[in-house]
Amino acid sequence: MKQVQFEADNAALWTEIGAILDGSQQDQRALPALYRRLCQCLALCSQRGYSPTLTDHLQKMVGACHRRLYGTVVERPTTLMRWMLVDFPCRVRAEWRLLLITCLAFFGVGLVVGLLVWYQPQWAYSFASAQQLDQFREMYQPSRIRVGRGGSQGDLMMFGHYIWNNVSIGFRSFAGGIFGGIPALISLGLNGLHLGVIGAWLSRDPTTVHQFWSFVITHSSLEITGLLLCAMSGIRLGLTLIHPGRLTRAHALYSASQTMFPVIVGGSLMTMFAAFFEAFWSGSGAIPIQVKYAVGGTGWALVIGFFLFAGRGKQ
Amino acid sequence: MLDGRLSLTTPEGVSLQLTPAGPYLRAVAWLLDFLLWAVVCFLLRLAMPSGKLGEGIFLLLLFVTYWGYPIISEVYFNGRTVGKRAVGLEVVRSDGLPVGWRESTLRNLLLVADFLPIMYATGLVCMMFDLRFRRLGDIVAGTQVIYYEKAVPRATPLLAHPLPLPFPLSPDQQRTLVDLFERESRLPLDRMAELGSIAEPLTGVRGTESVERMRSYVAGLTK
Repeated sequence: MKQVQFEADNAALWTEIGAILDGSQQDQRALPALYRRLCQCLALCSQRGYSPTLTDHLQKMVGACHRRLYGTVVERPTTLMRWMLVDFPCRVRAEWRLLLITCLAFFGVGLVVGLLVWYQPQWAYSFASAQQLDQFREMYQPSRIRVGRGGSQGDLMMFGHYIWNNVSIGFRSFAGGIFGGIPALISLGLNGLHLGVIGAWLSRDPTTVHQFWSFVITHSSLEITGLLLCAMSGIRLGLTLIHPGRLTRAHALYSASQTMFPVIVGGSLMTMFAAFFEAFWSGSGAIPIQVKYAVGGTGWALVIGFFLFAGRGKQ
Repeated sequence: MLDGRLSLTTPEGVSLQLTPAGPYLRAVAWLLDFLLWAVVCFLLRLAMPSGKLGEGIFLLLLFVTYWGYPIISEVYFNGRTVGKRAVGLEVVRSDGLPVGWRESTLRNLLLVADFLPIMYATGLVCMMFDLRFRRLGDIVAGTQVIYYEKAVPRATPLLAHPLPLPFPLSPDQQRTLVDLFERESRLPLDRMAELGSIAEPLTGVRGTESVERMRSYVAGLTK
């Protein structure tokens, strides 16, 4: 069959499909059937050696139809809820060994350095400059906390700061984890070291000890866990890169990222909530220290309970 | 064929032709996006009220634009940020379908890993070794940056007296012949005459006369 005749025979089909693709035809139910006829046209066209522009034209139309048919996103309004309440805690439980390693990298380093500074205070100067330590001591003086930030506007500034800073650290730890987990572990260790030095230094001073710990404990359950989980998912990718098992490296990485995705989302959401608490609640001078300790303790209990029990039996 | 195309077979048995994009154009697209982001941030900084309130809102917007802009534009605007749109690229899944939240988030978070140690060195090395120019983030997320192919208007049939071919040509040879006349308007006359002389075994004449003979053959093929 000559090309001109072929084009004339199928012109009606092509314009119909074109109308559906550009949106002028609202009823799309005919598309699957039309698409199959279009595929046949393309096959004939390439077999009979019709002109390249016609083949390309049909090729593009086939591509657009393929996207329209198979790329349609099914609306799943409860996906996020399911991810957060079932998949997230289950995946974290499944990776408890890695979580233990990240906890050791953060809390272990923090505890060791903290004890060192607690018994040998001069060591603090090897980890932080004298100026920095003074600055922190100044920041956590009773009555200073509120004044230093400047009311509710200051709270909003700190919120922006915490979001930008802390969530970005979480994201970077995740991405850094892919290099065998080393950058993520270093980042965790450094953050733990910072907490250990500052915590022990301020705990030695009776005026700042409760100001500091009551400030830290209120949001730390969400913030530190969020950071640990982001780093953990990165380290999982890094370990997959080193040891892909029976899959090729690319496939193993892809499937590991698919399983760890709820953990990254959950971890970063936790850090965001923590930033909210940290900015608007933890720093408030009006709340008694005992209340802050109670709320902070409850927070830790809830977080640990969530990861121990949530989603069991629903996978 | 050695045209760098990636052929994906669909359930209907037709193949989708995607052309993976290389490091240079992707770097240009990234640079455009980065400049746009920097300019927008600078303008936001100027527009914000001074003081702590303004700084807080600015940092929030910085966070949302820095991490959110590529993800949102890839999910809602067919895998194309402004930079990619400008240089004609788009992001799709490895199976040629549009990217979703999961793929887009993963590939954009891992941009940090591709940046290490300096200036996207890891991403570049990874692209060099991957047959489809995927960087680390693309491999992890299962995505792919390809050329966005615009639909070109179809050529009108040739106005020439149709002639039968002197001897049968293979489909590929026929396609080459037809393709030549569809690109005719972009070729200089001298070059056409030169090509006509090369085609002497087919037409038996040389120069422009040969070109006219070939035009008739093509008209005979398509009409």
